[in-house]
Amino acid sequence: MADAATHDHGHEDNRSFFTRWFMSTNHKDIGILYLFTSGIVGFIAVAFTIYMRMELMTPGVDYMCMEGARITPAPEGECTPNGHIWNVLVTAHGILMMFFVLIPALFGGFGNYFMPLQIGAPDMAFPRLNNLSYWLFVAGSALAVASVLSPGGNGQLGSGVGWVLYPPLSTTEAGYSMDLAIFAVHVSGASSILGAINIITTFLNMRAPGMTLFKVPLFAWSVFITAWMILLALPVLAGAITMLLTDRNFGTAFFDPAGGGDPVLYQHILWFFGHPEVYIIILPGFGIISHVIATFSRKPIFGYLPMVWAMIAIAVLGFIVWAHHMYTVGMSLTQQTYFMLATMVIAVPTGIKIFSWIATMWKGSVSFETPMLWAFGFLFLFTVGGVTGLVLSQAPIDRIYHDTYYVVAHFHYVMSLGAVFALFAGIYYWIGKMSGRQYPEWAGKVHFWTMFIGSNLTFFPQHFLGRQGMPRRYIDYPEAYALWNYVSSIGAFISFASFLFFIGVMYYTLRHGQRVTEKNYWNEHADTLEWTLPTPPPEHTFEQLPKREDWDKQHAH
Amino acid sequence: MPVYWTISPKAPGTPPGAFALSRSEGAEYRLSLSPNISMGPRGFARMIALSAGFLALPLIAVLGTPVLWGLLPFAGAALWALWYALSRNAAERQRLHEELRLTRDAIEITRTNPRAPAQHWHANPYWVRLRLQDKGGKVENYLTLEGSGRVVELGAFLSPEERAALHDDLSLALRHLQ
Repeated sequence: MADAATHDHGHEDNRSFFTRWFMSTNHKDIGILYLFTSGIVGFIAVAFTIYMRMELMTPGVDYMCMEGARITPAPEGECTPNGHIWNVLVTAHGILMMFFVLIPALFGGFGNYFMPLQIGAPDMAFPRLNNLSYWLFVAGSALAVASVLSPGGNGQLGSGVGWVLYPPLSTTEAGYSMDLAIFAVHVSGASSILGAINIITTFLNMRAPGMTLFKVPLFAWSVFITAWMILLALPVLAGAITMLLTDRNFGTAFFDPAGGGDPVLYQHILWFFGHPEVYIIILPGFGIISHVIATFSRKPIFGYLPMVWAMIAIAVLGFIVWAHHMYTVGMSLTQQTYFMLATMVIAVPTGIKIFSWIATMWKGSVSFETPMLWAFGFLFLFTVGGVTGLVLSQAPIDRIYHDTYYVVAHFHYVMSLGAVFALFAGIYYWIGKMSGRQYPEWAGKVHFWTMFIGSNLTFFPQHFLGRQGMPRRYIDYPEAYALWNYVSSIGAFISFASFLFFIGVMYYTLRHGQRVTEKNYWNEHADTLEWTLPTPPPEHTFEQLPKREDWDKQHAH
Repeated sequence: MPVYWTISPKAPGTPPGAFALSRSEGAEYRLSLSPNISMGPRGFARMIALSAGFLALPLIAVLGTPVLWGLLPFAGAALWALWYALSRNAAERQRLHEELRLTRDAIEITRTNPRAPAQHWHANPYWVRLRLQDKGGKVENYLTLEGSGRVVELGAFLSPEERAALHDDLSLALRHLQ
């Protein structure tokens, strides 16, 4: 029989630093680890883009020279353009952001921390597996960074094949940098799949008694759907890149036309994973935004059930639209028509979500604390990205825009502005709960406005560049594109300054921030279970099952 | 709810369905407690079927090419891992339960743990002290029994209301037998 722990000191947290953070099996600690690690990797990926924007600021190559990469512009005539550095940075930025920043932060970080809390589970179903997932992610990040610094193509360091790793470029790239990049994606894929299985099991088996599927809070739902998409999409990617690896190293010819393979087939498989991937990134963001908007509009979320079904519909549609990334590879008219129509259908569930968020605010008592500002920013920017997405979904128009900066602007509006704004909304919304300290409100607002202005200044002009016909993935451009590239670079520097300021805000908050002890420091419309716990939550939560009235708010408001 | 009482023999004249108590000499109370599992076998089957369907989607597209053999093991492994995790977790939660047996001269509790050996406690019910600690315990409404020089917990995995109800039933039963 389990001996009772009636003495008060039985539940103090007396683990050492090493035990707590390196051998953790606690879902909250692992969530925090995910957030910090992805923050560090995010800084690397952002630093790469700043260097890229420095290079693109003026026509001509000033920084990425054959003579060596420079921090200050090279004097006239002393720089031979080195496209390899550029390609490596583009590739690394894509791989890091896709696999090692956004998924780990939103899904691994917030998902781990808050999904079990919101469904009233004491921990994840498999706590040690959770620890394994986290360390696989760290190992994968290390491999990805190592790939940038190890011998690759063109007799230089790193491989510059684009994050999509298309063959034959990826199969012919010299050096082992490419192999390291493939391993990095493998390891991160294994990490995500194990994490996803853990989350699915927790969500399905461990909900509080009486919490039926359609009473689960929206964030927990979004994390569950994300986990399911990861489980379905990532094995396909793992298979595809394993075949790349054997093509590179063991003489197989899965994707090599000379040996009877089909490089376009690789593109199909990659995008079968790749399109769900973008929804994997954005869905937890949808969940966060729903809670933030409900809280700061002081109203329950409008249309809970349509919101859940919209997320399910987005997930399902995400699997059947992949070829809109490849209209130009030579598909039949019928195929293109299908993918075009299916893609446009996604606007329906997405529209349901956007309008439900707006309806939540309608006649609500809206106040603009920092998380709500980020949610507003998200709503606006994600909609802009969604609308340009509809433009790009048209196969004939896509022929014009394909591989131009219009595409770059589009996917940065949904991912860099959409997902990242949702991430910041989540950080400001929950940091008091997680750390027991609150950020200074003015600092959060300064961070928001600089980031909002900076990122719009960065990406909005790229629509113009795309319409002018500037192609993606080049280190240099003709004089005609100079103006908007200059503006875009200024925007990037403002965003970077804002990011550095954010790091300062985080440091200040965690070390010197005002202590919060209230369980629910927002208002009664922050009504999910994490707000019934002490701030910060104790090491173990919900060993007892939570009471129904804690989470079932149907009659409360 | 996962709290079951069985009482034998039933006291004569007890209305059916009510919590029946017996004062008779040979009365035996049995109590079985287990944690809540929120997904049944039907949900499990549905989850596996849906996942298998979507995993098959890209495989259909590569039928007849060697690429199929590159994708198949990964899709299969993912499905197997989902199956294994869901069923193992459900099995573990099913295995975790506490059995209490109470007669006039013995009270015993056996806790079956999924991954650790079963734990056992017994005492004389006359001297057992039942305690419900609403705050400050390991959980809200922490239910403990003290006897044979040990304090043991009961039903820590239940909801607070269930533990409160359990406390009332159990103290009634103890009083009847004393």
